[in-house]
Parts: sequence; C-alpha cells; structure tokens
Amino acid sequence: MATMTQNMSPAAKATRGAIKIDDVVKIYDPAGAAVMAVDHCSLDIAAGEICMIVGPSGCGKTTLLNAIAGFHEITSGRILLDGEVLCSTEKPKAEPGSDRIVVFQNGALLPWKTNLENVAFGPLMQGKLSRAEAHEKALSMMADAGLSGVEHNYPGEISSGMRRRVEIVRALMNDPKVLLLDEPYRALDSLTKSVMHEALLEIYYRNKVTIFFITHDLEEAIFLGHKVVIMTTRPCKPKKVLEVDIPHPRDYSVLTSKRFRELIEETNDAVHEEALKAFAAGEKEG
Amino acid sequence: MEPDAQSVEVERMLEILRKTMPFQMVSDALLRRIAALGRQERYERGAVLYDQGDKAGDIYIVISGSVEHALEPGINARRPVQVLGAGDVFGWAALLEKYPHRLAKAVVMDVAVIVRINGDELLRLLEADPDAGDVVMSRFATMITRDYTVPDLIAQMRGIHRKMHSQDIQGMNLTLYRILQWIKSPRPYLMVIGIALFLGTWYLFVEVWKLPRFQEMPGLTVVLKEWLNPNPVYGLSLYTAEYYKHIGVSIWRVAQAFFLATALGVPLGLFLGWSRKFKEYVFPVFETLRPIPILAWVPLAIVMFIATESAVIYLTFLASFFATALNTMLGVESIEESYVRAAYCLGAKKWQVFRHVIVPGALPFIFTGLQISIGVAWFSLVAAEMVSGQYGLGYVINTSYTMVRYPTIIIGMITLGAVGYVTSAMVRILGDYLMQWRVRELALGGQ
Repeated sequence: MATMTQNMSPAAKATRGAIKIDDVVKIYDPAGAAVMAVDHCSLDIAAGEICMIVGPSGCGKTTLLNAIAGFHEITSGRILLDGEVLCSTEKPKAEPGSDRIVVFQNGALLPWKTNLENVAFGPLMQGKLSRAEAHEKALSMMADAGLSGVEHNYPGEISSGMRRRVEIVRALMNDPKVLLLDEPYRALDSLTKSVMHEALLEIYYRNKVTIFFITHDLEEAIFLGHKVVIMTTRPCKPKKVLEVDIPHPRDYSVLTSKRFRELIEETNDAVHEEALKAFAAGEKEG
Repeated sequence: MEPDAQSVEVERMLEILRKTMPFQMVSDALLRRIAALGRQERYERGAVLYDQGDKAGDIYIVISGSVEHALEPGINARRPVQVLGAGDVFGWAALLEKYPHRLAKAVVMDVAVIVRINGDELLRLLEADPDAGDVVMSRFATMITRDYTVPDLIAQMRGIHRKMHSQDIQGMNLTLYRILQWIKSPRPYLMVIGIALFLGTWYLFVEVWKLPRFQEMPGLTVVLKEWLNPNPVYGLSLYTAEYYKHIGVSIWRVAQAFFLATALGVPLGLFLGWSRKFKEYVFPVFETLRPIPILAWVPLAIVMFIATESAVIYLTFLASFFATALNTMLGVESIEESYVRAAYCLGAKKWQVFRHVIVPGALPFIFTGLQISIGVAWFSLVAAEMVSGQYGLGYVINTSYTMVRYPTIIIGMITLGAVGYVTSAMVRILGDYLMQWRVRELALGGQ
C-alpha cells in the first residue's frame, strides 16, 4: 500500500534551485604550499534535480559544498543560483542563507533545543513566523515525515536515523531552493541507511527542492540521483557525469533491477580508479 | 478457514516481520517477541476479515494472496479502495486507543495467508521497550498519515508515545532520581566505610597509639566532645550562637564574591571565546594575572580597599573570577563549528547565534567553571580571613591557633569542608536543572 503515485520528473514541478558551477578553482594555501582542492570545475544542476556527487574521501567535494553554502571562499570562477551570482572571483565568499541549507555529516541539530524547537528555529530566527505559527507548522511537517511523538524529546534522545530526518525537516521548514547534504548517512548502519533513503525520497516527492548530495557510496548515488557526478580525487573536478534513466518515484525494488546493476557496472571502474588514486596519495578525510 | 497458528514456527514469522514495513528497524530480540504474538491463518476467497465499525482487535500482515481494503466514506484518503498483497500491513485501528473500531472493510480476494497480531498485546510489548516502540509507532504514523487523514490521529499517536515514556525522568525529578539511584548503588556504603576508616585511623593514631607526629593533635573524641558541648571549653560548639555567626559571615562573603565572579566572569569568557580580536587584546593579560596566588594579592588588596570587608571579598572573588572566565571561554571554543554554521544557514543573525548557540553551547563548561569557582572561593576565603576580618571560619581557624585552642581548629576545618561541599552540590543541582538536554543525554548514556 506504500506506493507513490505522483509523477515525479524533476522538471515537472520545480522552477527554482538551478545551480551553475562555472570554472571554479579553490586553492588552499597553508604555509605557502599551494594545494589545489578544486580544479576548474564546471557543473550544471537543473532545478529540482537530485545531483549526487561521488568521490573518495578527501577528494575536495566538501570544499565545493562549502563554497555553495557560503562557508568558504573560492579562488576563482563563479557559482550561480537561478542566474544570480552567489560567489565569484570578485566576491569570493557567498553569504550563507536559508535558500541553501546544509545537512551536516555529523548532524547539527542543536542539542539544547527539543526537536520541535530545532525544526521551528529557521522561521523564528528570520522573523517570518510567530512562535505559535512556527510550532504549528513544525508539528505538521514532522508528522508528515513520520516524526510524531519525538517533538518534545531532545535530539540526544532519539536514534541517529531519526535525527537526520529531523534535520532535513528543519531545513525544509524554510522552503529552501537547495538542500546541500554532506554524506548525511555516513554514520548510519546499512539497515537504517536503506530506510533513510526511502524516507528522503518520500520527503523529496512532497517538497520539490534541488538536492546536492555528497557521498562516496555509488549504490546510494545511483539509487537516489537523477544525475551522478563522479569526481576525480584531489584536485576535484567532474570525471564522469551519469544521467540515471530509472524513473522516479523509486523504491527499494530498484536495487535489484537489471538497469540498476548495469549502471553500477558502467560507473564502478571510474569510481574505483579514483579511490585507488586517493589511497595511493594517502589522503585523509577532507 | 483452518487456523493453524500453533504450528507456525517463530523463525518463519521472524523472516516475514523483518521484511514488513513498520518492523524493519526493530532489534531481533524484540521482533522475536512480536513474532511470538503472531498467528498465521488461511482464508478462502470472499472471507470478510472485518467490516466497518467492527471492534478492532488484531492487525494483519499479508503473506500471500490479496485482500481488498475499502475505507468508510467519511475518511479522507488518497485511495479509498486498495488491493493489498504480500508484505502489506492493515488494520492498524487495533493500535489506536480512541478508535478501537474498524474504519474499513477488508475482504479476501484470492486465497490468502495472513498473520494476525493482537493490537493490545503488541502495544504492551512496544511500551516495554520505548525506544524501539517509538520507531515502530512513528513508522506506523508515517504510513497512516501518508494514506489517510484520520481526525486526531497525531494527537493519539503522541498520547501513546507519552504513555510509553511515562517512566521518563523530567525536570527537578532528575536530582531525586539520581539520589535514588545513588542509594540503590553500593556507593553510599563504600562512602560510609571510607569515612569510618578515616575517623578510625585518626582515633587510633592520636588517642590509642599516640604516634610521634600526632601527639599534639586533638583527638577524635576530644573534638567531638567539644563540638557537642553546650558549654564548650574553648567557646565554640554547636550550641553557641557564635559558631553560626562565623558560618553565616563566611557564607555571605562567599556568596557575594561568587555572584560577582559569575556576573563578570561569564560575560568576559563568552566574549573571549566569541571574538578572536577581543581575545588577542585581553587574553595575554588575563593569563599573566591568573596564576598569581591569592596570598600574593593580599598586600595590594589591603592598600586598595581600606575597609577590610571589601578586601576580603575582593580576594575571595579573584580566583573564582579567573576560573569562571577561563572555563566559559573554553566552553565557547568547544562548540562544534557545524552548530554555528547551521544557525547561519537557517537565517540567524550574529546576535541570535550568540543567544541560541554560543550561550547554551557553553553552558556545560560554564557550570563546570562555576563548580570550580565556588570551590576556590572557599579556598581563597580562608586565606583572606586569616589576613583580616573579625569573623568567619578562616578567622576561627587562625585565631584558635594563636590562642592554642586546638579542638576548635578542627571544628572550624570540618565545618568549612561541609559547608563548601553543600554549596558545591547546590551549584551542580542548579546546573542539572538548567541543562535538561544534557542531563538526559548523560542519563541515556548510562552515566
């Protein structure tokens, strides 16, 4: 009975949230030794698309995410959101804002606020809603995401899978154009992870946002994404872009489908090659 | 229909449950218990499992075959009539408390094998294991809300959740809970043994064996006799007003110094941690002054403050202030960068980040600082009272020495220790009260 009936091609509903990464370079300069983290990277992400960025740990994909979010400066190039320049060579650091919300690798729910207060946080800070309105909206969004019952618990009291979901709902409360996910399911066990993937898709089908999702898990990438971008290891730039032609909505039966296996086979070599390179370079997490 | 519930082995049921939506994430141990509740039955085509308005007893899991599930007209659903196949779950009205009647009609279409689980028994199992129960119930809630709009459903789910967590610890109860746990543990008895050993050693060394170094020391019985004497030989015991005046004066001084140290130290620490520039100005001076012992400040304090009372409070304040400010600063620096980033992402302004992230994030360290602070306040107080002042426990100890009233020295010392311990515990209780989130986290971690 858990079928999803809506038609979900990315361009169908979403009209906003198109990201253009245009020739972006990022050079770190610790103590004069210039390290190139991102090398002339260009990438187009359509509005409402789930774009999966795959690369070995430390390949520089988080650097790209930080540039979009506005946490780090870029060295040169431009990043545009719906045609507006977020950052460029002239203005190297974007302003963080609620149109692009990050879901962090280790989770960043404020542990001293209850789940409900966390979810209501964005609109309250921006002064968009009164406390009562924010709480009401948060309660209904949490219910939609299957989070009834944990509203008044603190994040430390619920499972890590649930925490991720609360965090995604917290982001969606602000009606963002883009969700930036930085390996959000990395710390989860594989069973929980599989449930989280379906939950994420459920949430996605309900709220059309562009998703920029960093992972090093190829299966995860192909299962979730409209587009899978395989990155070269440091310096980071697209090595292979794969359009996943498995129609959405997807559920777990996709994992055993023939097409899914074919796509894995098609991309596995590219990923493995980069992983080897990263391993040889002895890169650490980055 | 041939019920063969008894013959179904738990293992097979387990396999089925593992694949079924609301139970996927549940531990095997709990699944096994749920599986034990399951009864497998076989139904022929056309069998009516239940009709609208029937009292709801069981929930159903389809193993094979198909079932038509038709909702009553009043319910707002995405698809009022559905055909359910293997792996689908239906009949969750059995899990609701306020709606124990069926909202739909379920009729077997193809010969079906179905597992039935009694709703009340399942709820009871879930209540016994609130953590896993939460997961199952929240999955249920998702499934139901995705397909139907049932009035009050969320409120009911929440009610069930609250029931599951009824033994949870809330508010000030936590302190009580801790005390209860403490009494149940072996720790109080170890503590009593520790104290007994200490007192026993004291008694034996001084009064029985009269060891060389201990000859001049007042013995345990002498001190106790003096302390409990309505007419004390040296003028100070539980029965003299003087004794309480000394305690009162000391507490009042510590309170003032502690309050000042907190009022100034916490903001200073917050800004030291928050602004790199401010830290660069202030921290070197701070770190130079901080290690200077209280006794080294005494001459300056006397020169600065003509009135002795202010000098004593100033000296008591100093070390507390440094401890509070330093810990607060470390607290701010301990806050994970991602919390700050997340807050900016969500549209918080700088002052809002300060108010909602920096201050609460530093609170655990601040309270560590305050506990250290109250401790060093008592340290410093004694040093300050030995230098000047006419009352206070430090004064008692010092004058008793010059007047050769040895038992009174010990009375002063023990009183000081006890009062210091109590104030320190009060700070900890206040901290628990203000940081429920942390306390609950620690409680979950079994600490």
